[in-house]
Amino acid sequence: MSNNVKSDLLLECRGIDKNYNGPQVLSKVDFSLRRGEIHALVGENGAGKSTLIKIVTGITNRNAGTIVFDGHDVPVEHNKNASEKLGIAVIYQELSLIHGMTVAQNIFLTKEPLLPGLPFIDIKKMNAMAQEMIEKYGFDLKATDIIDKLPIAQRQTVEILKALSNKASLMIMDEPTSSLTAKESERLFKIIRMLKAEGITVVYISHRMEEVYDLSDRVTVLRDGKLVSVLEGEEITPAEIIRLMIGRELTEDESHHKMVDKRDREVVLEVKNLSAEGKLNDVSFKLHKGEVLGFGGLVGSGRTELMRAIYGIDAFDAGEIMYLGKTYSPTVEKSIASGFGFVPEERRLQGIMGGISITGNIGIANLDSISSPAGFVSRDKELERTQTAISTLNIKPANPDHLVGNLSGGNQQKVVVGKWLIRDLKLLIVDEPTVGVDIGAKEEMYQTIDRLSREGVAVMVVSSDLPELTRLSDRIIVLRKGRIIKEFTEGVVTEEEVLRAASGIVEGGAK
Amino acid sequence: MNTKSALFKEHMVELRLFGVLLGLMVVLSLISDRFLTVDNLTNVLWSVCLIGIMTTGAIYAPITGGIDLSVASMAALAGILANVFMNTLGMNWIVAILITLVIGAGIGWLNGVVTTKFLVPAFIVTMAAKTYLFGVAMLVSNGDQITIMEPAPFLQIGIGKLLGIPIPIYIMFTLVILSHILLKKTVFGRRTIAVGANEVAAKLTGVNPDRTRIIVYTISSVTATIAGIVMASLTQQAYAMNATGYELDVITAIVVGGTSLMGGSGSVVGALIGAVMVGFINNGLNLLDMPSAFHPIATGIVILVALIMNQGVSVPAVLKKWFARPGAAEAAK
Ligand SMILES: Nc1ncnc2c1ncn2[C@@H]1O[C@H](COP(=O)(O)OP(=O)(O)OP(=O)(O)O)[C@@H](O)[C@H]1O
Ligand SMILES: [Mg+2]
Repeated sequence: MSNNVKSDLLLECRGIDKNYNGPQVLSKVDFSLRRGEIHALVGENGAGKSTLIKIVTGITNRNAGTIVFDGHDVPVEHNKNASEKLGIAVIYQELSLIHGMTVAQNIFLTKEPLLPGLPFIDIKKMNAMAQEMIEKYGFDLKATDIIDKLPIAQRQTVEILKALSNKASLMIMDEPTSSLTAKESERLFKIIRMLKAEGITVVYISHRMEEVYDLSDRVTVLRDGKLVSVLEGEEITPAEIIRLMIGRELTEDESHHKMVDKRDREVVLEVKNLSAEGKLNDVSFKLHKGEVLGFGGLVGSGRTELMRAIYGIDAFDAGEIMYLGKTYSPTVEKSIASGFGFVPEERRLQGIMGGISITGNIGIANLDSISSPAGFVSRDKELERTQTAISTLNIKPANPDHLVGNLSGGNQQKVVVGKWLIRDLKLLIVDEPTVGVDIGAKEEMYQTIDRLSREGVAVMVVSSDLPELTRLSDRIIVLRKGRIIKEFTEGVVTEEEVLRAASGIVEGGAK
Repeated sequence: MNTKSALFKEHMVELRLFGVLLGLMVVLSLISDRFLTVDNLTNVLWSVCLIGIMTTGAIYAPITGGIDLSVASMAALAGILANVFMNTLGMNWIVAILITLVIGAGIGWLNGVVTTKFLVPAFIVTMAAKTYLFGVAMLVSNGDQITIMEPAPFLQIGIGKLLGIPIPIYIMFTLVILSHILLKKTVFGRRTIAVGANEVAAKLTGVNPDRTRIIVYTISSVTATIAGIVMASLTQQAYAMNATGYELDVITAIVVGGTSLMGGSGSVVGALIGAVMVGFINNGLNLLDMPSAFHPIATGIVILVALIMNQGVSVPAVLKKWFARPGAAEAAK
């Protein structure tokens, strides 16, 4: 053990190998972190980023290799508690926070300040301590807020405070911005820079190259479980990172896709004066055959609620939905039978069935087409459907029996989208379709949506990723506080225009 | 080659269980020379049949992440009701059985409706049903052990043989095959698994979790009713205490058979093997003249061991990790 002499490396991993009793997921990966740097870890879906992080934090164990953290050898039989003690923290989006508890309770969980001489928690003191931390970093929180009521971005800041209270010297963030809006991401970057200023090392995984470019001091690129390169300073450019990630040049196609007016086509869906208490307020629009209609807005603007109401998950109070010219009172089953497809917002809670295979996940959305009228499922048809979905979206590994819970995050998302794309659709609703999907796979997903729209499928896209929204949409509706506040119908919309509308800065038009 | 190894992998759990079962039989035959006698094995068979029949339907509740604790009371009540219909009200035995089945289905349906529509956990609902069904059984039978003397065709269900094999065995295997097909090959089976794997995701892909659950609890009650009828005929007795405690044996059989109580997967064949094992363990305790208090102890231990095995964690690894903790060494000193 190298004692006392503090090297300038906080973490040094050498020759890390990992297989989950199957194919090699990481082979001979070296990964090192300097003290106080912001270090990005990038690579395609399934490259092994999350696995490397899980090894460092002790959630899973490596098969070979050495890890030295802050001068201490980390044993193979590493575990989560040990890594916390060493000062390694992972910022999850919500997993590790306890619902129903306050911000302060979560921050000080298991290390609550006690009343002097008594085995009772000193709640006043605890709240004061939490509030002091919140104010020190200028977070938009109160110590007594209940976790459940906070949006994801603020839960993240609670996670960060919790890590700070544990005196973490390394904070790891696995795709922290994947469900944040642009503005919330900006705020997070500010916090990350603040952490850096305090000497905390930050590891940051992201599929958004601009962020990586703006933020990081160094970048480690993984491909197929191998270290490709470590970039530093001037070497960090989005194009170079992408080239290293996918091993070839990404052909730039018209990513600022022009809007197309398709409003003279047959109306597929018409929403009239839809209102739902506290969520939607008098929303009306028409969706046409082959049209891709984008929905912009901030989190909480009612976009997701609108999609859920149309698909038949939540009830609405007033208004009418017309589908193919007839009044339509939606239920999920009816919607699916009528040719709807629906990709929900939250993959883990609403999208995947982690404990069953890719085939099982794809099959369940396609039972109608893979079973006989008597209710018997054809295993052959089910497999054939699954293979189609796997090859359409390039799901890796391409093994239909693989448990979805054991896929990488991006590949799980491909399964959630894929189960709909193989259906005979008339209307596709996608809510944040590319969360966690890598840049190459994203483009494949866009092209699939383009193809569907050419085939006449009407598509509604909700996305907080503005480049995605402008890339996909033929027309964009912006919601704010449950109302339609702006509609963009022609020309090239810039991300800024959408953002201004979403924030309520609208020239002319609706108030 | 690929399909062959996949097939092998798919049935790993069942094969492993079968191995354990054979081992258990060897041990029992070594321990007691009474074990491998026709009389004894026939004895085991009866209890295995009853538990086996119940598991074929009761397995669906755990697959959805629920549980049905009312099966034993339901079975006892079914025998009593069938006897009342036939021998008190003088109905034809087939009609009596059909009416009993309809009542069983109705009670299961009610369990399902209360769990899904009134959001009471299945554990509580079926525990309540277990209690009130037992009460009804006591009420209807006056708490008596009623001997069933007729009709003869009814008694043949339990004691009759076909080609030398007892009829309950045919009933059990028929139900196992039907249930296996229902789970693995039908839309309903897929939906049941999906509800257990992730109810929200299932719902958003067009599965109606409430309807699925209601059917699940109905099926569970129907197979319990069938078991109750077989039991009444076999023992020639209608008695409220006839199946007391069977629900634990049923759950043990299901869990030992590789079905997780967390939902999302299950094996009917595994549960059958589990039922045979439970039967043998109880039988072994009898043969060793262990006091009856040991039965629940053994059952409890078997449930725990099965659950630990099904978690897929390697016990040696856990122990190693435990002893490798810093501080463990000192503590051990
Ligand atoms: N528990 C597991 N069991 C088996 N295989 C696994 C398990 N977890 C991950 N894998 C496999 O390891 C590989 C790497 O996965 P990992 O989650 O590290 O990828 P990633 O780089 O984080 O990808 P993404 O960008 O999609 O999140 C994938 O092929 C995945 O299928
Ligand atoms: Mg990942």
